[in-house]
Amino acid sequence: MSAGRLERKPFLAVAVTVAFFAWLYLPIVAVALFSFNSAKSLSVFSGFSTRWYSDFFSNSALLESLSASLRIATVAALGSLVLGTMLALGLERITSRPARAVGAVTLMPLVTPEIVTGVAALLLFTGVGLKLSLSTVTLAEITFSIAYVTVIVRGRLGSMSPEVEEAARDLGCTPWQALRLVTLPALFPALLGSGLLVFALVFDDFVLAFFTTGVDPQPLPVRIYSSIRFGISPAINAVGTLMLLVSGLLIVAALLLPRLFNRKTSSLDLITGGERR
Amino acid sequence: MTTPVTPAETRAVAVPPAASSAVSLRGLTKEFGGTRVVDRIDLDVAAGEFFSLLGPSGCGKTTTLRMIAGFNDPTSGTVLVGGEDVTSTPPHKRDVNTVFQSYALFEHLDVRGNVGFGLRRKGVDRSTIDQRVSEMLELVELGPRAKDRPAQLSGGQRQRVALARALINRPKVLLLDEPLAALDLKLRRAMQVELKTIQREVGITFLFVTHDQDEALSMSDRVAIMNDGVIEQCGTPEDVYENPTSVFAASFIGTSNLMQGTYAGGEVRVAPGLAVPVPGLTGSAEGDRLSVAIRPEKIWMSDFAPSMVQVPGTIVSTSYHGATTQYLVSVATGITLTVLEQNLPRMRADDRWAPGDRVRIGWHPEHAVVLR
Repeated sequence: MSAGRLERKPFLAVAVTVAFFAWLYLPIVAVALFSFNSAKSLSVFSGFSTRWYSDFFSNSALLESLSASLRIATVAALGSLVLGTMLALGLERITSRPARAVGAVTLMPLVTPEIVTGVAALLLFTGVGLKLSLSTVTLAEITFSIAYVTVIVRGRLGSMSPEVEEAARDLGCTPWQALRLVTLPALFPALLGSGLLVFALVFDDFVLAFFTTGVDPQPLPVRIYSSIRFGISPAINAVGTLMLLVSGLLIVAALLLPRLFNRKTSSLDLITGGERR
Repeated sequence: MTTPVTPAETRAVAVPPAASSAVSLRGLTKEFGGTRVVDRIDLDVAAGEFFSLLGPSGCGKTTTLRMIAGFNDPTSGTVLVGGEDVTSTPPHKRDVNTVFQSYALFEHLDVRGNVGFGLRRKGVDRSTIDQRVSEMLELVELGPRAKDRPAQLSGGQRQRVALARALINRPKVLLLDEPLAALDLKLRRAMQVELKTIQREVGITFLFVTHDQDEALSMSDRVAIMNDGVIEQCGTPEDVYENPTSVFAASFIGTSNLMQGTYAGGEVRVAPGLAVPVPGLTGSAEGDRLSVAIRPEKIWMSDFAPSMVQVPGTIVSTSYHGATTQYLVSVATGITLTVLEQNLPRMRADDRWAPGDRVRIGWHPEHAVVLR
């Protein structure tokens, strides 16, 4: 045994890592577990039951909120995808000083505390006399999400050689055809990834939705928050578990869809920085 | 007040393009933020020619190519392709195609999709496209990889896809921007031969941009040496190598023994005791400062002919290069010449000179080239 300290098993590091993940995920596991509890207790598991799920699916107010959240997330994902991609293309091509300043400003929503964005959106909407509703939530969420799309799409654009689009022009494409036939397909993993990311972020966003929503129907997180004030029901656990499932499916989709389209890089690689080449 | 002159009228005054030329440039100039990158270039590339633009990085050769392709707009001047003025024609309407340095393949399409891209844009019918793509893949020996994605190919294969994708459109001119620069040396040599063979086979005009002098000399029908945005010299590879007309051309292509001196009595006096005869020189007056260059392989160290200029010298250093041996020979104060000798079969190691040896070197007078 001539190996030094470095070859010993790093027990402490393993223990800390296990503790970290336990701290992070045990509460979530508990939520999922107790959503199947037959009793109302949140501390004693008395038997398996799906009654809280039936509760949820027979609660029309919660269902309406779920549908509202899904619609908001879909529209916000599509809207911010279109605007964010256009912004990314513009910023990548125009290299003047003002354009670089604009580029920096687009990152602001990522660092602005969400509560500030929420209050600002509320002041804007009431200031111009817009009635708060699901539309105002959607508008606020799109504004907030553009930055994510822009950052991810620009990252992809930056790794693409400008010669690729020139090659398309060289081979007979008008600028519009070059965008449609070459640039956008090359951006596909980034578009898919940022779209799914925005969907997941908006779907369970509370702060912005809380400030900008009207009375009825409310987005799901806001609805959950309001119902908690009247006592915690395990039905909330069921809703939470369902939301977890939706987010999980989105991540799997982001991982798998590009592979189905026979691509080497999945869109998640762009977010996690695991892109090859 | 002078009457405004339209660009068309200025062009009419300039040299008319040769009828058979595939590309003609007239006074082509490009400035980026006040810096002149390409400076009033005139150039005619004949149809079917393999023509190289050779120069160091930053000499303006790629910018020139990009102006012909239409990716950069000239500040002034004209680009003609097949005798037609395309100066303000967008890239997709020009009858030229480009092989990019980065290859710029479409990663979301397979090899067939990449190669057939241009024909699909032209609206050629599907069966013709299929047939021509197959022919082209045959030509670049990529038939078995037709269904592969670019990411699955090696560097050399990607290079061939880029070539096939451009060639299939049968452009009037194929522009190649350092297409071999990313390949390793061995593959590069193989591709040089292959590229030349393909060019002969298809008969399309190639305009090839490179900083590699070997590449330019071995492949081209004609070479233009570019430096600082201007063409220093243009001619056949033999011509630009044997008869460089400028100091830059002499030193950029191969190595040269460059000497400065004063012209007097049919000689350039380089140093006390060293004069280089320059017979038949015209256009220079007594007392002019001139540069004169002699190629290292044109200097002999034995078997002198009577007509040769002979000078005594001392070996300073020797270096063995396999096929050749390079000597540095001191011939006068401050003047050291490089001499390259073939290592012939009859020569053994002890036949070669050693540092300190007193030698005689000699050259034919016509191999001393005067530069301006």
